[in-house]
Amino acid sequence: MSEVQVRGLTVEYQTSAGWLPAVAGASLDLRAGEITGLVGESGSGKSTLALSLLNAVPAPGRIAAGSIEVAGVGDVVRLTGRQLRKVRGGELGYVFQASQNSLNPLKTIGKQLLDLGRSHEVSDLRALIARAKDLANRMGLDGDRVLDSYQHELSGGMRQRVGIVFALVLNAKVLILDEPTTALDMLSQASVLDIVRKVHDENQLSTLIITHDIGAISEIADRLAVMYGGRIVEDGPLLDVLRRPTHPYTKALIGATARITGDVDAARPLPGRPPDLTTVARVGCVFRERCPFAVAACADTEPPLEAWEAGRRRACHVEPSTVLAGQPGTPAAVGEPA
Amino acid sequence: MAATAALATAVRNRRPAFLAFRRAVLRKPSRIVGFAIIVFFTLMGICGPWFYGTLAVDPNAIYAPPSADHWLGTDFAGSDVFQEVVVGARYVLSTAALAALFTSFFGITVGLVAGYHRGFVDSALMRVTDFVLTIPGLPLLIILSTVWSFGSPWQMGLVLGLTGWGGVARAVRSQALSLRERGFLEAARGLGLPSRHIIVKELLPNIAPYVAMHLLLSVIGFIGAEVGLFFLGLVPFSSTNWGVMLNQAVFSGGAMNSPDALVYLLAPLVCILLLTLGIVLFLDAVDELFNPRLRERA
Amino acid sequence: MIEARGITRTYQTHGQFTGTRTVHALRGVDFTLPEGGAVSFIGESGCGKTTLGKILTGLETFDGGELVVDGVELSALKPRQRAKYFRRIQMIHQDPYSALNPTRTIEATLGDPLRMRAREKGGTGAGPGAWRERACELLTLVGLEPEAVLPKYPHQLSGGQRQRVVIARALTVDPQVLIADEAVSMIDVSMRLGILGLLRDLRSRLGISLVFITHDVATARYVGDGGELHVIYRGEVVERGLTDDVILSPVHPYTQCLLSAVPIMRGLEEPGPDRTAPTRALDERTDTPGCLFEPRCPFATDECFTTHPTLVPLGGDGAGVGAGEAEGVGAAEHQHACLNPAARRVVGVEVGAGAAGP
Repeated sequence: MSEVQVRGLTVEYQTSAGWLPAVAGASLDLRAGEITGLVGESGSGKSTLALSLLNAVPAPGRIAAGSIEVAGVGDVVRLTGRQLRKVRGGELGYVFQASQNSLNPLKTIGKQLLDLGRSHEVSDLRALIARAKDLANRMGLDGDRVLDSYQHELSGGMRQRVGIVFALVLNAKVLILDEPTTALDMLSQASVLDIVRKVHDENQLSTLIITHDIGAISEIADRLAVMYGGRIVEDGPLLDVLRRPTHPYTKALIGATARITGDVDAARPLPGRPPDLTTVARVGCVFRERCPFAVAACADTEPPLEAWEAGRRRACHVEPSTVLAGQPGTPAAVGEPA
Repeated sequence: MAATAALATAVRNRRPAFLAFRRAVLRKPSRIVGFAIIVFFTLMGICGPWFYGTLAVDPNAIYAPPSADHWLGTDFAGSDVFQEVVVGARYVLSTAALAALFTSFFGITVGLVAGYHRGFVDSALMRVTDFVLTIPGLPLLIILSTVWSFGSPWQMGLVLGLTGWGGVARAVRSQALSLRERGFLEAARGLGLPSRHIIVKELLPNIAPYVAMHLLLSVIGFIGAEVGLFFLGLVPFSSTNWGVMLNQAVFSGGAMNSPDALVYLLAPLVCILLLTLGIVLFLDAVDELFNPRLRERA
Repeated sequence: MIEARGITRTYQTHGQFTGTRTVHALRGVDFTLPEGGAVSFIGESGCGKTTLGKILTGLETFDGGELVVDGVELSALKPRQRAKYFRRIQMIHQDPYSALNPTRTIEATLGDPLRMRAREKGGTGAGPGAWRERACELLTLVGLEPEAVLPKYPHQLSGGQRQRVVIARALTVDPQVLIADEAVSMIDVSMRLGILGLLRDLRSRLGISLVFITHDVATARYVGDGGELHVIYRGEVVERGLTDDVILSPVHPYTQCLLSAVPIMRGLEEPGPDRTAPTRALDERTDTPGCLFEPRCPFATDECFTTHPTLVPLGGDGAGVGAGEAEGVGAAEHQHACLNPAARRVVGVEVGAGAAGP
């Protein structure tokens, strides 16, 4: 059963060159009770995708096509005004990328929590505070102290946890975390990941984690979706995808991650640079320029995202077996050309 | 967020300053209007006195209403109000511009040096700044008016400027202090680049939009200040300018009670309001002029 | 090249209610960095590693110990004389977004130090175009296309490209040492290896020594081959040795916690059987006569509370510290500051059967 169903989502931004898609025809399911990891480089459109789940794409962007069905709410894309505000926070909890900085420095955490409650017309604010304290305590924070604190009195990891409290205090069933561990050191990262897993299990959430760090996500996610150039290029159960990456990009991404085990010299940096709105290929496969497996078809036909095995989807012209067997070689363009 | 960053990477090569300026101004109609107003008054200030070297005085038409001969009517002496406005612009504008230049020059220099060097230099310069901040400008002007006639814009500009730079210095210093900790300034120090270079080439461009905005806003303030001084009659009337006109209209012409002198009163007032409006509308473009990132937004 | 002997740095903070408090940012750090060598410092945020980087580049002063650069003791010199030595040590900043002046093009950013350098060197080949040539050379060296990058402003480049420009700028003054303070932590994971590879390359090709400061142990592996790894906790080195020795067989509980925190790539790796975590969060205010890590240590004993451990060689008789550190010799001794050192298998284990790629 899926808590959130994204179908054919296209989000465009207005640029000097016209409306360009940051997300193109993305389809993704957030299954109930599962943590889905969405991995991609900067500019891959992963944050835009996450924001469109709230129907909160910032100007000059717009959702051009597609639907986002949230269980018990309907299509978020069609909601406006009051209804939309109720869903944000109420059904969909969002922890922002810079959640370390997304708190108001002039108000205590508790006051901001009350503001949140009032804007969502919560009648029992005492219960809200009690729930927030409870959540904070379960995340290893001192609830009373945290609510009385100002933002600057909390460390980065603590602020991240406060962000999660805010996202969940209105009983959201879907939790979306945008880069939850960026800018945290290893120890804080480990504890935040640990807490996300715990909160997820205890509240039976459907969680989406957006990140560029495939290593961090692999620690806790159940499913993995890989995004490149505005497209989801591969998804499936995390363990399976990591063991058998069948999209050249996924394979390269895994190979380019600094790890603590394995041969240092075996790791290969990803050649080239990630595309952005203006440089992404308009025709054919978006990854072909950096792809060691590229064939003639890649230049003119965009591969669709299709199931090739139970539970696994990929968007690639090359046979899965070829990618699995192939050595991650390097294409012609090496380095990071501008 | 990632997408907005991507938007800004719309790759475009560096454009000459003029093109950048034109793009920034033409982007919004309000900026065009603001810029046009500023240009209009600047031209008036520069060229005005060339057209009307000597004011046409028509003793037969005192407080005449607007007509084909006298577009804005005449004043108590029969002088043409329109000509007076045009001729008076030079003194008002040049004084304000000079004062703004003095404030900016002293304010920026003191602020940057204090903010960058910190320590003893900072303390010393800030004590001087505090001293300047406490100088009461108005009484000083009144006292100085016994010595100077303020006939030249230089004198007025200098006094207004010298008493007004304290605020800029403080603001620039705090900007410099916060920029100082940024990576690129640490790097510049680490590379061993000379302080003068760091202050002028690394620090200054980053506070430029801030300073430019302050400069424009202070022009408004200085116009108000000097016109106010003349209006109140605190400094001797030594030239034709808008402040003198206001004073005459109210205290000699009785513009407050009689409709005869109304145009005489309104003409300089409207000019001041228009110029203020022009500057405020144009301010919006300043940030974009100095910030290469904003410059590129489509 | 650089030798640090017992560097200490303390700050006085004046709390509104708490009165004056002394914060120990560094408590006697010593290390030797041979020419072309590498020393990595790992620790969590707030452990003093950034202060160390600033001290090494002259942006911060130290109040105890001695810093020796090229055989010259710096504390004896006047600030102006020191500048010459600090210039040989260049910093690569953590944040490539603030490390480049947003109002200047890359050409201007590289041009100024290059022209200054050319003037200092005197007439030899200091033609007007010479610095531009050198700028192109440096950009090529760091893996960028000079013609495409030179006219751009920093915001037109990606994070990885900016960091390469930052490295190129550091190279303009022909440094002998680069200090990389979290040089890749703000860059996409997919681009990190490229930067790390570049730093490693600079070591081998130009003989530049590297001080690598990070919280991410995995990245330290990629630049620090043959170098030393120092684990720093609250300003004190608690374990050190060859990078691989420390990573593969850590004995200090803090090192073990750090290594346990490295995410496991499930499917390719399995968590080590003895994975552990600190019992609570870092609180810099706790003062203890004993081991600094004792309040958070999962394995603390009563003795840890009372006795402050110092660095001793692993398995040795505690004969003392520093004696074995002959200059320039690669084989550094594995030392630790723990009263009850124990080997624990905390690092992830690769899943066998070739699943981990080539």
